[in-house]
Amino acid sequence: MIEPVVKEIRVPTTPQKAFRRFTEEIDSWWPRATHSVSLDKCRTISWEGPEGSDLYEIDEDGNRHVWGVFTAWDPPKRFAMSWHPGHEPEEAQRIEVTFEKRGKETLVTLRHSDFEGLGETAQKTRDMYESGWVGVLQTYEETLG
Amino acid sequence: MGHDTVFEALGDGTRRRIFGMIRRRPLGVGEIAGLLPVSQPAVSQHLRVLREAGLVRADKLGRRRIYRVRPEGFEPLRAYVSAFWDEPLEAFGSSFDKDEEGGV
Repeated sequence: MIEPVVKEIRVPTTPQKAFRRFTEEIDSWWPRATHSVSLDKCRTISWEGPEGSDLYEIDEDGNRHVWGVFTAWDPPKRFAMSWHPGHEPEEAQRIEVTFEKRGKETLVTLRHSDFEGLGETAQKTRDMYESGWVGVLQTYEETLG
Repeated sequence: MGHDTVFEALGDGTRRRIFGMIRRRPLGVGEIAGLLPVSQPAVSQHLRVLREAGLVRADKLGRRRIYRVRPEGFEPLRAYVSAFWDEPLEAFGSSFDKDEEGGV
């Protein structure tokens, strides 16, 4: 099994607001120029939420690139989705984000798992999401090839 | 040294292999050419690009030049890629700072 990538952040707000910001309002903060399929050509990150619907980006030519499908929806505690930006749905990983109240703050935990579907590139992709540079160079190489 | 130079230098498969070899241990041009299906002048040319990108440096050892990695040459690369999730989560966190200012 490939170890999941787990990241935490505390934000100065309620779980309700944090949950909404991460989902409905994702377009307002996601660093799309560096973290998307179409990069600088990415115009919007959109969703048709909640459960069972896609999260996707739209590039400047109007093409739609699906990132994944919401598979669990339990506001304001957690949501989960399949995750395959730039890959086919069969190669999807899984993302789960939880929101826990910590006094006046909210602890947001992101868990990115199930890399096995990527086959040979699973470990490399996992490393890219964790700390990256091997995977990024690989991607860079592919774009040049 | 900016991202472009470093990425360009490592955007070539042979140069990445050479860089990988030097990362493991300091090497001379002849040794590198001996380990790769590439001529010595071609290796020298690749080394020049790596050197200009600040990724390696050449030390003179008698008549030979030994190539070593410059760890600080890595920095632009590290700074650029960081970790995938760190940046989105940081952007997510900062989006609440704006709320504070705007009083939302």
